[in-house]
Amino acid sequence: MASTGIGAPKSQHVGRIFLRAAVTLLMVASLNFILFRIIPGDPAALLLGGARTSVTAEQMEAQRQNWGLDRPLFPDQVVDYLSASLHGDFGYSFKFRGRHVSDLILERLPATVALVGLAQFIAILCGVMLGLYAGWRRGGAVDHIVTGASLALYSTPSFWLGMLLVVIFSTALGWLPGYGAYSPGAISGSLDWLIDYLRHLALPVTAVTLGLIGQYVVVARAAMSDVVTEDYMVTARAKGLNRGQMLMRHAFRNAMLPVVTLITLNLGYVVAGAITVEAVFAWPGIGGLTVEALNARDYPVLQGIFLLLGASIVVANLVTDLAYGILDPRVRQ
Amino acid sequence: MNQWTLSRRVVMKALLMGSAAPWVMRSSAFASSCDDHIVRLGGTIFPDTMNPFATWSSFWPQVFTYDCLVGPDARRHEDRKGFAKLWSVADDKLTWTFKIWPDMKWSDGQPATARDAAFTYKYLRDSIGKPDELNVGWNNTDGLQNVESITALDDETLQIVTKVPTLWPIDNQTMIVPEHIWKDISNADARSTFRNDPPLVGTGPMIVSEFQQDQFASLTANKYFRGGQPKTSGMILHFFKSADLIAQGLKSGDLDYGFYLTAAQWADLSKDPGIVVNESRIEQRDYLAFNTLSGKGAGSTKALQDPAFRVAIGYAIDQKAIVERALRGHGDPGVGLVMPLATDYYSDLSDIRRHFDLAEAGRRLDAAGYRDTNGDGVREDREGKSFQLELIAGPSANIEIPIAAVQLVAGWFEQIGIPVSVTQLDAGALRARWAAPENGGGGWDLLIDNGWLGTRPRDLLILGSSKAIGTNNGSFWTNEKFDKLLSEVEVTVDLKKSQQLVDQAVRLIYAEAPYIMLCYPTLLEARRKDCFEGWGTQDLMSMWSYFPLDRLRPQNG
Repeated sequence: MASTGIGAPKSQHVGRIFLRAAVTLLMVASLNFILFRIIPGDPAALLLGGARTSVTAEQMEAQRQNWGLDRPLFPDQVVDYLSASLHGDFGYSFKFRGRHVSDLILERLPATVALVGLAQFIAILCGVMLGLYAGWRRGGAVDHIVTGASLALYSTPSFWLGMLLVVIFSTALGWLPGYGAYSPGAISGSLDWLIDYLRHLALPVTAVTLGLIGQYVVVARAAMSDVVTEDYMVTARAKGLNRGQMLMRHAFRNAMLPVVTLITLNLGYVVAGAITVEAVFAWPGIGGLTVEALNARDYPVLQGIFLLLGASIVVANLVTDLAYGILDPRVRQ
Repeated sequence: MNQWTLSRRVVMKALLMGSAAPWVMRSSAFASSCDDHIVRLGGTIFPDTMNPFATWSSFWPQVFTYDCLVGPDARRHEDRKGFAKLWSVADDKLTWTFKIWPDMKWSDGQPATARDAAFTYKYLRDSIGKPDELNVGWNNTDGLQNVESITALDDETLQIVTKVPTLWPIDNQTMIVPEHIWKDISNADARSTFRNDPPLVGTGPMIVSEFQQDQFASLTANKYFRGGQPKTSGMILHFFKSADLIAQGLKSGDLDYGFYLTAAQWADLSKDPGIVVNESRIEQRDYLAFNTLSGKGAGSTKALQDPAFRVAIGYAIDQKAIVERALRGHGDPGVGLVMPLATDYYSDLSDIRRHFDLAEAGRRLDAAGYRDTNGDGVREDREGKSFQLELIAGPSANIEIPIAAVQLVAGWFEQIGIPVSVTQLDAGALRARWAAPENGGGGWDLLIDNGWLGTRPRDLLILGSSKAIGTNNGSFWTNEKFDKLLSEVEVTVDLKKSQQLVDQAVRLIYAEAPYIMLCYPTLLEARRKDCFEGWGTQDLMSMWSYFPLDRLRPQNG
């Protein structure tokens, strides 16, 4: 009986989380369709009207028909879009001359995941450690330095930071390349290519990392600062635990709750790319693709990207909810 | 002892890491331009496919691979020929004969003949009127309506007979493509999905061998180039979203040449002894357009449709100040439709030219009935409604109009009692606003935009063409006499006659003032001195062909 009593709320809790995620995803997909069509701008006019020739109204209309934009938005277009999306078919790009949206996204995704994923990893590792340490040693010299530097980095625009890195490490010192993902002619997969890729990755990753690290430090420090003043910490000390034991057994786990939330939510944004940093370093990621698709009103590409982004954030939220259940059993009840 | 062993390991590791660090930091798949003789270029350009029938965005880098039959460069410069070596027109002004370079080859070794040129033009012409007409890319059907026949008389002779006298056969910028590659590509594929993936096959000096969208295009020297294989090993054209990296790349030596620089970057680079800076006159025109529509899509006041109102505004625009303050001196003040680069047609219109005079603008507005009757500092239109105009502007695929220019214009409007609210739009929204009214365009009052076409009379006058509403004619202005002059000049081969017609049209539209030309900006470019020579003296790099990449050579090479 007891096991049923505990199991039911747990499975209900997980079920609720999954149901909520599914509903959210459906709403994101629907919103994706409406959102980009509200923005003024006709993709046919943008693609053909960019030409210097006189494209006739009939030819413009033929292009719209070709893309299926002449059909009623509801139910034809929206039903087609939702049913295709459910099958993982995002359609064909307007701007990129009929290329499949999935191919375009998959082409850019590795560069974005490498850039933002690596930056998140480094920022989490360094930021959380520094933040927890600063919170543990609240009021000390390390706390002041770490907090001050973090706030400064947090408030610095990443494009400015990026240009600064280029000027110092690429132009002045000549240590690292300042733009692109790899050198032309590099044979993909070779050791030379890998080193070349990592060298190109170094500055953009640093720019994104420095921009992210501040928020991890701030949140982790605040969480740890709260924990160290809790009664159970005083009790732990009274029980005769040394500082290391107090930190590892009591403070760390409790301080991680808000940090885990931030980490998982931020991981959801890994696929979104870093638009400004990608632009500064001419990094061929999802961010740049989003801007190009937006300028061309390339609905299929925009829908594909934002659905992917929405899905990754929903999954991140789902992981957060599940992780909360593990970290704090009260949540499951 | 154990401690010493540990320390020794640490020291060894540190030494190994230390010795690897410079290699990792310096390692690159390629050496510098001075070593590998590959020219590295950078520009704020966004090519999307290597198919010239499908896009306007890929002129760079396709221009290095494909030749025009004649084209603007060959018309302006004796030493910059295209696919044809010589050309002539018969006395009837209809029959054009082109002598193609003898024994010319495509980059894959196949013979490049008059038949390829004939194929390219027929490929376009035969699509006219079909659902998949090839009218969406750089290679398009424009002008081919006037062509009667296209015949390859033999491998070296191409004959084009036109229905009316026209300079189109030598002015068109169609890139000649190889028949053996394109003959099996349908029109439908050519205008959309066919990507023409590298390596391309062309007759230009540099052949696109790799294209990475949003990053770079690699080109290799064409060993079959008619002038002999270029002295450089190849080139890499990097694509940037911002010119900041171009300036940094030039300083660090990563780039040999950069274009589309901003005035501040150009000024900074000019102080570098290892860099040569240059500015080239181009065909771009930056203008203020009035929404002259009267029905659907009309602006907020009927005054916009009144030439007297528009002319009065013309006195409130200080083109010299725009060049000096917004362009930091890098351009020419705007006058008429013709930019100074079009030397055959340019006139400073000194006899009818309006000069900046806010008081005169005010007097003319008063005289035309646009007074400030209630003394609130804001003029009213003839319907008694206070002016509050919307000025729209946005990004451009050409040289950006500095926001300072927009602010200056808005400021002058304020000073003559016409408040203006500026709306900055993204490219898509801007395009939607100045589309043809039947396509939902209009509804704004003033537009600041630019255009970069050629120096053919048609290109010069197209801003006022009623046929170009929704494409190039942003003011929606129409005038039968202007259209007639444009039609006439399109079928005129004689230069003097052509000049007279253009001059009449330019004066007509200047007097009606649907546009106020703000400026003609120059293209700012820079190159490094250390690795290559032979850049030429006028424009560092042609905006219409591959000059000087066909003759550039390594320093002391």
